[in-house]
Amino acid sequence: MEVILNLASVQGNILKYNQILKKSDQLIKQNLEDKKQDSIRKEGRSHQLEISDPIVEIENLTLEYDGKPAIIDILIDIPKNHATAVIGPSGCGKSTLLRCLNRLNDLIDGVTIEGSVKISGEDIYDSNIDVTELRKRVGMVFQKSNPFPKSIYENVAYGPRLSGIKNSTDLDEIVENSLNGAALWEEVKDRLGESALSLSGGQQQRLCIARAIAVEPEVLLMDEPCSDLDPIATGKIEDLITELKQNYTIVIVTHNMQQAARVSDYTAFMYLGRIIEYDITENIFLRPTNKQTEDYVSGKFG
Amino acid sequence: MSVITRLKDVEDKIYLQSAFKSRIKRKRQIADFFARLVVTSGGIAIILSILAILFFITIEVIPLWRGVKADLSGRFDIKQTAGIAIIITDDTPFNKPIPIFAIGLDEYREIGFIITKTGKINFISLKDGSIIKQVPLSKIEGKNVSSIFESSNNKQYALGTEDGYVLPVEINFKVSFTQEGKRIIEPRLFEGEPFLVESITLNKLAYNQSSDDSRAAAVITSDGRLVFVSVETSSSLISDEIKNLFKHDLTSGLKGDNVTSLELDSFLDNLYVGTKEGRLYHWSVSDKQNPKLVDVISATAPPGTPLTALGFLLGDRSLIVGDASGVVSVWFQVEDETSPIGRKLQKIHHFKSHNQPITNIASSSRDRSFLSADSSGNISLHHATSNQTLLQLSTEGSSIVAIAFAPKANGILAIDQKGVFYDWDIDNPHPETNLKTLFGKVWYEGYSKPDYVWQSTGGTDEFEPKLSLTPLAYGTLKGALYALIFAIPLSLLGAICVSQFMHPSMRNVIKPIIEIMAALPSVVLGFFAGLWLAPYIEKIIPAVFLMPLVITILTLVAMILWKYLPKFIHARFREGTEFFLLIPIIILGILISIWLNTPLENMLFGGDYRNWLFEVLGLQYDQRNALIVGFAMGFAVIPIIFSIAEDALSNVPKHLTAGSLALGANRWQTAIKVVLPTASAGISSAIMIGLGRAVGETMIVLMATGNTPIMDWSIFNGFRALSANIAVEIPEAPHGGTLYRVLFLAALLLFFVTFVLNTAAELVRQRLRKKYGQL
Ligand SMILES: Nc1ncnc2c1ncn2[C@@H]1O[C@H](COP(=O)(O)OP(=O)(O)OP(=O)(O)O)[C@@H](O)[C@H]1O
Ligand SMILES: [Mg+2]
Repeated sequence: MEVILNLASVQGNILKYNQILKKSDQLIKQNLEDKKQDSIRKEGRSHQLEISDPIVEIENLTLEYDGKPAIIDILIDIPKNHATAVIGPSGCGKSTLLRCLNRLNDLIDGVTIEGSVKISGEDIYDSNIDVTELRKRVGMVFQKSNPFPKSIYENVAYGPRLSGIKNSTDLDEIVENSLNGAALWEEVKDRLGESALSLSGGQQQRLCIARAIAVEPEVLLMDEPCSDLDPIATGKIEDLITELKQNYTIVIVTHNMQQAARVSDYTAFMYLGRIIEYDITENIFLRPTNKQTEDYVSGKFG
Repeated sequence: MSVITRLKDVEDKIYLQSAFKSRIKRKRQIADFFARLVVTSGGIAIILSILAILFFITIEVIPLWRGVKADLSGRFDIKQTAGIAIIITDDTPFNKPIPIFAIGLDEYREIGFIITKTGKINFISLKDGSIIKQVPLSKIEGKNVSSIFESSNNKQYALGTEDGYVLPVEINFKVSFTQEGKRIIEPRLFEGEPFLVESITLNKLAYNQSSDDSRAAAVITSDGRLVFVSVETSSSLISDEIKNLFKHDLTSGLKGDNVTSLELDSFLDNLYVGTKEGRLYHWSVSDKQNPKLVDVISATAPPGTPLTALGFLLGDRSLIVGDASGVVSVWFQVEDETSPIGRKLQKIHHFKSHNQPITNIASSSRDRSFLSADSSGNISLHHATSNQTLLQLSTEGSSIVAIAFAPKANGILAIDQKGVFYDWDIDNPHPETNLKTLFGKVWYEGYSKPDYVWQSTGGTDEFEPKLSLTPLAYGTLKGALYALIFAIPLSLLGAICVSQFMHPSMRNVIKPIIEIMAALPSVVLGFFAGLWLAPYIEKIIPAVFLMPLVITILTLVAMILWKYLPKFIHARFREGTEFFLLIPIIILGILISIWLNTPLENMLFGGDYRNWLFEVLGLQYDQRNALIVGFAMGFAVIPIIFSIAEDALSNVPKHLTAGSLALGANRWQTAIKVVLPTASAGISSAIMIGLGRAVGETMIVLMATGNTPIMDWSIFNGFRALSANIAVEIPEAPHGGTLYRVLFLAALLLFFVTFVLNTAAELVRQRLRKKYGQL
């Protein structure tokens, strides 16, 4: 009986995905014609994708936690001013990969990293790199919103203050711009002095985005930014991401296929620490070349 | 069919499951109920036991505030019961010059005595007023007594006769017990050797004898002269023999005033004369051959109000002055450079409980209480130190002619002009405490100004207990403050370091080690501090104060060097752990400071910093001082603050730290700007609890300071803390006595302070938690 029930739910999922796929199909029918689909798919590697203007270049990156590999031999270029989604089943190493980009893994004991990560052509694991400077260039939004127990204003001003901005008119401007950028300004402009913890969950997450963009990073990493939020808040954040990718390079980890389909231009599918397939989003969802990718995006596992 | 059976199976299963579930549910409910019962009853038990402790302490303290109880236990007309008639020659009270009556009683308040003009001592039963025994004074047989002097110890009397003799008399009671345990009190009378002053009636008399058997008397003769005589005797087995007699006529000093009363202290140093014109004359008579008029004071207000009675408080150093307007004041000599004897009589306490002229003054031989009686028959009981009138008694409206305080201060005898004899029971166990003496400034006898003093016991019975808790509370705060100055930075820095920078495996070792420090018995710390640390620190004080400077300089130098060190060396340290390089630097700093000690002392302080401190800064250096307590008690407090603060810091959610780091903050910035404020609730309660511990700490403050109850913030001085004071004094405090109860009050105060601190800690914690809590 249980099996039957399971099958039924899987069927439901499939139906849902079919609907999405149909929608996406129409989209693609309009757009794909102009895209030189053939030129970007090459033989030999599962995810070979030629990016003309990469901002992040990851080469042969392997990371081990106490000798246990969490991501293996990652080779991926991330395009500038686009949103790139990373999908994959739980535990496949998505967060780990993301944390490699701002060296947040350095804080964990027993981590060994091999390979190279270049951001704007600079190897970030070089010993001459100032990690705090790097982190100012690579912002991050976490799965669980984590505003500091300070005022809304102080949360946004935190990063700029660290960079040595003390002038209050400058700070006011940065705070307003960032909150505007995170589509939060209108909601909080009258209560900037209140504790950030008095905001709702969705507002808190947007505050964290505002806080991250206040230091004007080159790359914005988002690790499941909407997983704790309701559909409306999620919608707002997704709109925001679409907005932000004009100016920022966004790397977003998500478990929500629709979200990946909606917001990202490129999608990488990870499985057991490896990148299985990396392509423009439409291709991953409509024409996956890999059987595992197909199974995953069609909801057969994960 | 199979489907049906299967369905049935399922049904059964569901039924069984629900039965099983309800059983589990009931079991759970029972367990839940008992758990709740145990927890609540445990909580209630704790609260109750704390309340019980509070209750028992309070019970011991409350009697301090119980007022004086007085019961008239006897009243009789002595004319009827004993056949003694009262003869008053002059009715104007301030001129009631002939104290022909003196009364007294034994310490069990069974037998009283009355000395009358006829030169007989009448012993009467205090039960019914009947005469027990009449003893004539053999050495002045047949002479009429014209004046009586009663010394403040209630035993010594002197009688002046109509033909100019002074007879010292001592009355005491021999107490013995029969085989059945019955008490027998036998009055005894000792007559001294009478000596002739002037061959004229002695209207007024003051007499005393010092411990070395010299005697002196001042008299007012019936022709109005003031004569001072001093007598040296040699005592032999048979009798006293008068050897020398110096006589001085001091009348000229009086400027024609009419003397109303005389007092001479038992040191034979000071003669006080009060006059109808309201002046108080003070002669220094220590040089028997040359009495000196030191001072003439207009002692009453408004000036000219007659001065009617004089007396001494216990100890013969404080003079009690009563005047015709009913005011009683207490005076003693205070240091004064303008005075020829270096001290000047000053009015210290002031009591206004009478409206009629004061006729008599009698002081307690136990404490600093005294009685004053007036011409309308009112009697007041005062306490000098606490400056309070404890009791007011009224009689039948006639002037009181004689009054006596029972030897154990548990009774009052008075006799009025009509010959009515009154006997009161007095219950006055704690006259010396009120809020002012316990917490305020009090002008104690012999002090040059009012002050906060704790000195509970002294060498003699006449000692004035000084029970101000203020210097002790001050000491407690001082100790706690210095301990916290030392402990807070160290423990918080340690907590930040361990929670933010240390590898977890190391943290798991270090934290328990520091926490074990808390289990170190404080007596060991105190012992160590008092016996080893104090003498050692005394040798290297300049170095101790040099240390912070040297260590800061070294750290700065190290930081600059570190900056210029090649990057690959940096890379070998985990971010933040370079902090541990400071440990050798600090040790180096300490060593350098100690090494610089002697050169520094020679260079700056002329080779002896103690001298320098005293001469330049006016500071005294005690070997066991607040600095030592700061170190030792700091060590006791550090583990507590460290442990609680470390917990608070490591409980700051990791995603907050990560958020800060992701914005480009380094570890230190994150620790200071995010972790510390977030953990501020826990840290503040850590500090409060540390403070609570420091306030209650006993053994360390007991052993590491000199326990001198002085009030002085100097780091080089010791102090006495409330807790240490209790420990030191409770063994010597008689059960139920004032000191005993005051010590309990100190305990209550400590209890209260810790309670307030802990409550404040809790409130602060809750407020901060509200602010930073929902993470
Ligand atoms: N701090 C850590 N120490 C040791 N192993 C870790 C650590 N963090 C992650 N791992 C391991 O690395 C692997 C990848 O973890 P990661 O968090 O990157 O997965 P993920 O793809 O983000 O999963 P999810 O979708 O559930 O967030 C997992 O097997 C995990 O157990
Ligand atoms: Mg993850």
